[in-house]
Amino acid sequence: MKNIIGIILNVDGEDTSLRDFLEHRSLSTLPFGGRYRLIDFTLSNMVNSGISSIGVIGSHKYSSLVDHLGTGKEWSLSRKTQDLSILSGTSNNRIGGLIKINLRNLQDNRAYLEHNSGEHVIISTPNLVTSFDFKNAYDIHLNNNSDITMIFKKDDPRYNLLDDDIYLDFNKNRVSGIHYKKSRVTNHFFAEMFIIKKSVLLRLLDLSKITGDWDLMEMIQANVDELRIYGAQHRGYIQRVNSLESYMTSSMDLLEFEIMQELFLGKKTIHTKIKDNHPSLYCDSAHVYNSIVGSGCIIHGTVSHSILFRDTIMHEGSHIQNSIIMQKCEIGKNVSLNYVVMDKDTIIRDNTTLMGRPHSPIVFKKGSVI
Amino acid sequence: MNTECVAMLLAGGQGSRLGSLTFNNAKPAVLFGGKYRIIDFPLSNCMNSDIDVVGVLTQYRPYILNNYIGDGSAWALDQVTGGAHILPPYMGQKGGRWYSGTADAIFQNIDFIDRFDPEYVLILSGDHIYKMDYSKMIAFHKKQEADLSIAVMDVLMEDAHRFGIVNTDDENRITEFQEKPEEPKSNKASMGIYVFTWEVLKKALLEDAGNRESEHDFGLNVIPMLHENNKRIFAFPYSGYWRDVGTIQSYYDANMDLLDSTCDFDLTDRSFRVFSNNMSRHPQYLGPEAKITNSLICDGCIIFGEIEHSIISHDVIIKKNTVLKNAIVHTGAIIEDGAILENCIIGSRARIKGDTRFIASETDLMPIIHVINS
Repeated sequence: MKNIIGIILNVDGEDTSLRDFLEHRSLSTLPFGGRYRLIDFTLSNMVNSGISSIGVIGSHKYSSLVDHLGTGKEWSLSRKTQDLSILSGTSNNRIGGLIKINLRNLQDNRAYLEHNSGEHVIISTPNLVTSFDFKNAYDIHLNNNSDITMIFKKDDPRYNLLDDDIYLDFNKNRVSGIHYKKSRVTNHFFAEMFIIKKSVLLRLLDLSKITGDWDLMEMIQANVDELRIYGAQHRGYIQRVNSLESYMTSSMDLLEFEIMQELFLGKKTIHTKIKDNHPSLYCDSAHVYNSIVGSGCIIHGTVSHSILFRDTIMHEGSHIQNSIIMQKCEIGKNVSLNYVVMDKDTIIRDNTTLMGRPHSPIVFKKGSVI
Repeated sequence: MNTECVAMLLAGGQGSRLGSLTFNNAKPAVLFGGKYRIIDFPLSNCMNSDIDVVGVLTQYRPYILNNYIGDGSAWALDQVTGGAHILPPYMGQKGGRWYSGTADAIFQNIDFIDRFDPEYVLILSGDHIYKMDYSKMIAFHKKQEADLSIAVMDVLMEDAHRFGIVNTDDENRITEFQEKPEEPKSNKASMGIYVFTWEVLKKALLEDAGNRESEHDFGLNVIPMLHENNKRIFAFPYSGYWRDVGTIQSYYDANMDLLDSTCDFDLTDRSFRVFSNNMSRHPQYLGPEAKITNSLICDGCIIFGEIEHSIISHDVIIKKNTVLKNAIVHTGAIIEDGAILENCIIGSRARIKGDTRFIASETDLMPIIHVINS
């Protein structure tokens, strides 16, 4: 896999339901699963697949990304043989919506691609929750001498498919057409990861420069016969976080042991920035079940069907259920929370009761005091 | 290169009284408090004291220890001009030999210390649990214009016979040493932490090395020799939590102190943190029937059972219908469905079968079940 450059795109500008969490950060660094950021999955999948040169394209809210990734040491990307680059990105907005895979971001980093000796580029969005090994897809890519190999999945009720999602048509194994959701003819949807020959990518960038169309999906649609496009099927768990609802669902999916097992208990570790926390302390009055808990927590109350991030402090007599508590929150005494999502550093005062609903949880911004 | 103070951490001991916990692991690398290893405490103290050159003297079963220390970055010791240096015994032109005592280990590394041209050398050991700002002790040493300062703490008079006891004058100058005395004259116990003026120590080590009678031990030989030579030896008074974890019982008790909210040793205190070489592990997963009280749990654990007053290291799997009480479970152990365990230490990667009913009494020493490695 030495011949591959990994590129993680920026996808900001999505659904506004997450805006309270994205004031200070990009979607790629949205906290997830008790200790991770969303980008950890894609980045770890690339590293675990043996990709040694990875570029992460940032958007305008850089600081949380730079802070999180640092030198890439936690992902073994701070070595003479392996490297992480944080690249500049551009807005994906256009009149009437978003560009799904925006080649403009790659054109802006053309020098990075050209200077790198890799001949193939694996490109992924940063907001996929999955454990995926690119090796099999890369084999398909090489064996078929593909220009582009698209990762797809068969319709999955868990995956929050939207109108602008792409479906693939196949002629034998070769992709013969792509359609948006409403006009689809198959049930194979594109899982927002693909492998592309660098030479083909550079040619497409040249073409885009002339036409002014930077939407890769439109380019593929227009050139599907000229390009050799193949598909590689993803058979495991995958979720895309692009709204509050998909954030809640994919977070709560982790409480299903089989999913937890697939994502975290295999040989491949999902890496993240390491913190020096003490082990979590469960006090005399604690009762925590069906939950995920990060390190550094001090828990006195009852927690069920919830996710507590690192360094949560929860006092006596409190009850948390169906909620997500991000890092360094403090829950006072006799607090009752149901369907609440709170960003980092939120403080809930004693005797507070907050009841959200399954499809509309109560949301608190970073640093709220309630 | 000039560094005011170089720390030398004696980490080569076997720790045979820890039984199978040190079967193939050096004592300083034994797990403590779930995620920590004993050596985290002196190394974190160094970090919190702005000491950035630390020589770690290794000898017995060093692999896990060496691997754990790595480049020292976990304790901010990955700096360009100093950092963590692992110092095993080595071959020279006239052959080589093992470290034959604590003083000999330093003697064999005189060249290492001289490279940094320090004023002072701090001698630490890798078997104590405590938090201490060594910079205060070095400041004390300078103020007293001492040749040697020894950290001491008050112990109960009835325990004094188990320690090296010092007697001092009104100005904290040590007037007498008693090694594990039957009739202690004071309750000031040496903590095995020394600040030497390097010039004085170097001379003493060279002299001690030439003495065929000597066991080349600081407590038995070098310090009494300095005392005889009327060197200025002072006692630096320390008060606070300090435990020697050299035996299974003391190791177990010190672990359990972490669960005692009245104990003045607090791992959650952020003003003086204990750092460790962290593993990247998934968060703790607690199943629908899990019940955990008064316990410390580390990342990477999967828990379906009931845990009370216990310390669980990372990557432990505890299945359904299990009951753990007053237990210490080391990394990667698997407790199968139905096992009941009380007052025991479960070794790393041990697999406890579901029909196990193991209930030791609290006063009895808890046996260790199946230690493979850590």
